[in-house]
Amino acid sequence: MYRRVGLVPERETVHGYLTGREFARLNARLQGVPDADAAAARAIATVDLTEAADRPIGTYSKGMRQRAKLAGALVHDPTILLLDEPFNGLDPRQRLHMMALLRTMAAEGRTILFSSHILEEVERLADSVLVVYAGRLAAAGDFRSIRRLMTDRPHTFTVSSSDDRRLAAALMADPSVFGAELVGGRVAIRTADYGGFTRALPRIARATGVTLFEVAPTDDSLESVFSYLVRR
Amino acid sequence: MTVMAALVDVTLRGLLGRRRFLLLVLLAGLPVLIALLIRVSGGRPDADRVLDTLVVRTVMPIVALVIGTAAIGSEIEDGTAVFLMVKPIARWKIALAKAVVAAGLTVALVVPAIVLTGLLLGTRADPTTSIVGFSVAGLVGGSAYAIAFMTLSVFTSRALLLGLAYTLIWEGVLAGLLEGTRFLSVRQATLGVAAALGVNVREPLAPAVSVGVLTIVLVGAFLLATWRLARFEIRGGD
Repeated sequence: MYRRVGLVPERETVHGYLTGREFARLNARLQGVPDADAAAARAIATVDLTEAADRPIGTYSKGMRQRAKLAGALVHDPTILLLDEPFNGLDPRQRLHMMALLRTMAAEGRTILFSSHILEEVERLADSVLVVYAGRLAAAGDFRSIRRLMTDRPHTFTVSSSDDRRLAAALMADPSVFGAELVGGRVAIRTADYGGFTRALPRIARATGVTLFEVAPTDDSLESVFSYLVRR
Repeated sequence: MTVMAALVDVTLRGLLGRRRFLLLVLLAGLPVLIALLIRVSGGRPDADRVLDTLVVRTVMPIVALVIGTAAIGSEIEDGTAVFLMVKPIARWKIALAKAVVAAGLTVALVVPAIVLTGLLLGTRADPTTSIVGFSVAGLVGGSAYAIAFMTLSVFTSRALLLGLAYTLIWEGVLAGLLEGTRFLSVRQATLGVAAALGVNVREPLAPAVSVGVLTIVLVGAFLLATWRLARFEIRGGD
């Protein structure tokens, strides 16, 4: 199993007395990769660490350490990559770099499973999420579909249009909508029926002669999905 | 085989590349220094006595303790052991590599100390008996200590403390008071081996018993370490 899996543990400790290249090479040798030197060089290049490869890891920044660990996990070209909190301690630039790296590797056909408590990152990166709460799997799948399945929770939208008041009045007449409010120059709408509402909205707008400028779901982020899930 | 070499490599680098090892070299040099002082001041003590008290009872267990617990215990402690555990390597290979390095380094420090001390203090016409006897005893005894302490460090993060308690309290105090504890003492077995080779030791264990005890410690510790490593749990951070 370990031959197909690459693991990047959360803990930052790496053998600080090894250089990045030596660390990658050590991992390659321990994996039993035939040409450890070439494998190490390849992995180092993949994570964009070639310049610093011959410095001891002890002198690396957090982001570089993460990349060194990633290089160590990549030497045997695993099909599955597990990362525990890969964004911890990274500055915004390093974060973007790590995201790009993970995206590239996913595009190469690897399965990447990473954990994070920064949901915004997960939302930007992951195709599919597993929500684990108090040690239990609370939900799995695409987070937007998870959200949609939670019909006991109203969806909220904000709509801005040429005549908000008239639109709000007309929307309230529709059975899919059970709340419409004028807030800060927009209409805030609550609905239990996501699909029904999105189909009804343009129809109602046209019937009342109101032009829609913007329609935005407000709680359609992983953050809100997560908070709904854990509150149940 | 390359895997084994890589394991030995990284263990050696972890042990040798630090200030800790320099201190151990100094510690191993202590008996030699004392022997030198005795020699210069014109004293003529019994070489066997000095090797017994200073090396077998003091320097050897401490050197073995520090090296043995550092060989894998410090890797488990700081989390770098994870990198070994997620590789397709049989656990007995990890245990063996660590054991070989721990025992090898201990012996590499202890045996030269014995030889030099013995040469400096050689009072008898022929110091060879003492030197050979203690060297062989140091070889097996030092290995047994190192591997036992290595195994201890796989089981607990307090290995250094427990090991120290074992050598000081169990072997140092109880062995003198309770007859039965002598059989559970690496030190007594080591001295038994030395005695079997003609060294003058007080109340030694029988040669067969000594060899038996040391064999059980060596093999048992290795098997236990392998067993424990196979149950090693990879955990995330706190």
